[in-house]
Amino acid sequence: METILTTHFADDGYRRIDTYRRFGGYDALRKALSMTPEAIIDEVKKANLRGRGGAGFPAGVKWGFLPKDLSRPRVLVVNADEGEPGTFKDRVIMGRGPHLLIEGIAIAAFALRVHLSYIYIRGEFVREAKVLDEAVAEAYAAGFLGKDILGSGFDLDLTVHRGAGAYICGEETSLINSLEGKRGWPRLKPPFPAAVGAFGLPTIVNNVETLADVPWIVTHGGEKFASIGVEKNGGTRLIGVSGAVNRPGVYELPAGTNLKEIIYTHAGGMRDGKALKAVIPGGSSTPVLRPDEIDVAYDIESMAKIGTMAGSGGVIVIPEGTCMVRALSVLMNFYAHESCGQCTPCREGTGWLKKIVGRIEAGKGRAGDVELILDLCDNMMGRTICPLADAAVMPAQSFIWKFREEFDRHIGEQKCPYGNRF
Amino acid sequence: MPTLTINGMTVDVPQGTTILNAAKEIGVEIPHYCYHPKLSIAGNCRMCLVEVEKFPKLQTACSTVVTDGMVVRTDTEKVRKAVTGVLEFILIHHPIDCPICDQAGECGLQNYYMKFGLHKSRYALEDKVHKKKVQDIGGQIVLDAERCILCSRCVRFLTEVTGTQELHFFNRGDHSEISIFPGKPLANNYTGNLADICPVGALTTKDFRFKCRVWFLKAFDSICTGCSKGCNVDAYCKGDILYRLKPRWNDAVNQAWMCDFGRLTYKAMNEARLLTPFMRGEGGRKVAAWGSLLPDAAFRMQAAAEKGGPDRVAVIASPQSSNEELYLLRRFAVELLGTKNLAFTHRVEGDGFSDDFLIQADKNPNSRGAQLLGVPGGAAFDALVSRIKAGGIDALLVVGNVIGALSEEETAALLAKVPFVVQVGTNEGPVSKAATAVLPSASVAERGGTFTNHAGRVQRFRSGFPARGKAKTPIEILASMGNRLGAGWNFAGEASVFTAIAETEAPFAGMSYDSIGMFGQEIGK
Amino acid sequence: MSVAFSDTARGEFELLLTRYPDKGAVILPALYLAQREFGHVSDEAIVYVAGLLGVSPAQIEGVATFYTMYNRKPVGKYHVQICRNISCSLLGAEHLIEHVAGKLGVKPGGTTPDGKFTLSLAECLGSCGTAPVMQVNDDYYENLTEASIDAILDKLP
Repeated sequence: METILTTHFADDGYRRIDTYRRFGGYDALRKALSMTPEAIIDEVKKANLRGRGGAGFPAGVKWGFLPKDLSRPRVLVVNADEGEPGTFKDRVIMGRGPHLLIEGIAIAAFALRVHLSYIYIRGEFVREAKVLDEAVAEAYAAGFLGKDILGSGFDLDLTVHRGAGAYICGEETSLINSLEGKRGWPRLKPPFPAAVGAFGLPTIVNNVETLADVPWIVTHGGEKFASIGVEKNGGTRLIGVSGAVNRPGVYELPAGTNLKEIIYTHAGGMRDGKALKAVIPGGSSTPVLRPDEIDVAYDIESMAKIGTMAGSGGVIVIPEGTCMVRALSVLMNFYAHESCGQCTPCREGTGWLKKIVGRIEAGKGRAGDVELILDLCDNMMGRTICPLADAAVMPAQSFIWKFREEFDRHIGEQKCPYGNRF
Repeated sequence: MPTLTINGMTVDVPQGTTILNAAKEIGVEIPHYCYHPKLSIAGNCRMCLVEVEKFPKLQTACSTVVTDGMVVRTDTEKVRKAVTGVLEFILIHHPIDCPICDQAGECGLQNYYMKFGLHKSRYALEDKVHKKKVQDIGGQIVLDAERCILCSRCVRFLTEVTGTQELHFFNRGDHSEISIFPGKPLANNYTGNLADICPVGALTTKDFRFKCRVWFLKAFDSICTGCSKGCNVDAYCKGDILYRLKPRWNDAVNQAWMCDFGRLTYKAMNEARLLTPFMRGEGGRKVAAWGSLLPDAAFRMQAAAEKGGPDRVAVIASPQSSNEELYLLRRFAVELLGTKNLAFTHRVEGDGFSDDFLIQADKNPNSRGAQLLGVPGGAAFDALVSRIKAGGIDALLVVGNVIGALSEEETAALLAKVPFVVQVGTNEGPVSKAATAVLPSASVAERGGTFTNHAGRVQRFRSGFPARGKAKTPIEILASMGNRLGAGWNFAGEASVFTAIAETEAPFAGMSYDSIGMFGQEIGK
Repeated sequence: MSVAFSDTARGEFELLLTRYPDKGAVILPALYLAQREFGHVSDEAIVYVAGLLGVSPAQIEGVATFYTMYNRKPVGKYHVQICRNISCSLLGAEHLIEHVAGKLGVKPGGTTPDGKFTLSLAECLGSCGTAPVMQVNDDYYENLTEASIDAILDKLP
């Protein structure tokens, strides 16, 4: 199977520019600089490159939203705020293949006529930020960043900018506000970032993996990228499998690989001989799947069809013996902790959900609590400035819909049948 | 001009209008907290959610710009449930303070709860997040963080209007709180506006705290007398006592704001008032009757003018008098007494501070009006005071409570040089302590008229209640005195005086109370 | 009592200003500098950073209290932050947290009396494949067991 990103990740030296170049690194940039920006964007469109941050928006289409008018400078911001629970692939890319990302940024910037770019990396990734800083310095020294790149006349500045601990900053307008030095509050849309973004300038925000795919697309062509994967989801995905499997980790697989295969073949199946109880397929904000639902292609359309999402590629495997109420309580704590507080339904709703689910898990649930949770979910879903409320609602709803009897038992028996333990 | 349909009604609106404002045009009220016409759009309270055809999700009316052919519904079950849901979320941590909260009766939460709520709480009392109450955060404001619904109006006001940014959001999620940085309280001259824009009782004024329930108050149109800006205000009274001033909207003058100094000018109308006519005599004050004191004062002025010549009488006018009163006073002085010794004093308060927003250095509401009506100030006033000091005046009519910046002692010394001093004034002060005769006059809350502000805008103020005690309006007093001296005036009230002004005074030509309307009219326009 | 950046930090600050079209963008990096220079983001640090950037202290306080990595109060020499999110919990994070709490004698949020350790609970640290995970100051420790945690903490000087 052809790997696009991880081919040389086992080589520790790959994060250095000399090793990277030995493996053909920055050849794609050289080729891109000889193409027209339109031609590059065309290849990316042909590639069916869907955003790998979670929303899955076609990258080529997003790039097309920038205004034709070049009078105002544009900005390319890389979303390296990987915070979705269960997701850990961008850390691997940045830690092991930082130049892949930098080359992708440079090519994208050239295609978008951007001369100013930032990598917004979550604050906790201190080591990866250092690796990126060093790689960026190497790229500048070698003439792949800065003024007149490879004699093309194209200038590009790239700065690594650290976040400071806020999941919400993974949302692109919250990220932009945070980059500007503000609280990470998402913005009302419209206007969209391509019209008014960072510092008021037209801005494109792309995920790390999305941009890291770009050099290969330029080298081999968009059609070839699209041919790996499925019709509307081209290329490979880096899928992180975590939880109760034998081989947790990041696996680069063609989009559309079967989810059951991902868990049992690539990740080595269930550990400790336990049976599978549930799978959260695309990061914690995606609706949970029962064991009878995991025989499905892991691509954006196929997952949407069964009522969940491929999301950010984080497969969380839950074994038998896990209290689903307790698991939900962990997630509700998370969303309440991460709600930015700007708008009413999310600010108050996430806190309320956390308290109700916590109470049920503690054996103090009341009759009507489950209906109350579902009613609150209705009052939160689609009512807010950004999708964090939706992200909290989807696990709450799906856990209740698919594991209702566990909630009822907690309330009926006024205790956690699993002993308040994972 | 896009045309849209709201609840089946069609309306044409200017390009760029939001659904919220379009609905207002046709009398459809869309509930909202965070939106304020003078502040940027926040879209965070989510109360204004409405259904818009072709949009799968409900949209916020405050931030959605109308497009041609848009179809909006605010009256569906989906919208009603959404609004009730948002209201429930806002209320879960809200303390049940109504019985002790000043905002009661004009509270956004109370009002919308009665319309869209009326539900029982589903939230456990012990789960409520508690925040710090009763914080003196400087300026005129008390902050109760627990009542705050985090609509951000106050933060936006301090960022966009005053630029001082003392209040900000701290923390995250449902522990978010709006507060000042410790040790950095509100430090601007417009803090009172925060209480106006706060939809709930989170920000209230110290001055009004626990003073009166708002449903006992009556509001009437007035003009602030704190400086020459002439901010439009609503004055609130219960009976004949004033409780507060709040800005009244006028985009041409003060938008929706007023300054902190102006906000407290109502106090002078309640306190230390002159309420009975009296004469100063041996052993203190002797209360007199209007029927005798007023003609007596008029005649004594006239007698002094006849005996020593018009140059031996003088009139000190006040730049806090209305246009109508200044007109009558000028005519009294010039036509009836024949004197040229006429000038207006100035109230000197504060340090002549002014800013590039509302506050003017001239702390009087009608200096401009005085000048336009032929009553000079400045050097003319200084000359007049010198004349008095030199012993050249035998009878003096003073309108107002002070003479320039003179202290009580200086005023007493000055007035001791004048055998007869009659005051038409509202409050006890240096003049009332030294005058021979005092004719108590109505405050700005007890009479009607017009002021001309620094920019030449003529604006009306109205009476909220009849003059307190035995005070009379200056128009009554001056017209009466004039007629005693044979003026033959037939003025029934301020409107008739203004009609006369418009007929004969060039700057006011062609104006009327009608043309002044609600928002005033600039002279010469 | 006011504070100020050392010359080094001031130099870094000035360099940062050149990387962004708007000085506000320097607020987050400046707060990191302040935390490094002054030990934690104190009231004085906030007033100082506000002054450097020409904004109100309230605005900087708003930013500092929004993000979890700025410590408004001092933390111990080693800030032990153990992930308690879903993948780590599935693999025993709860037990590890209890274990460390017992070992250090503090509850989550607390600091040992000698000021050496502060124990906190963290949300997802983005390394779920090597769960359970913790972050001590700048460093990640992965694939944790009670034994490995003991070894890590005992070795810290």
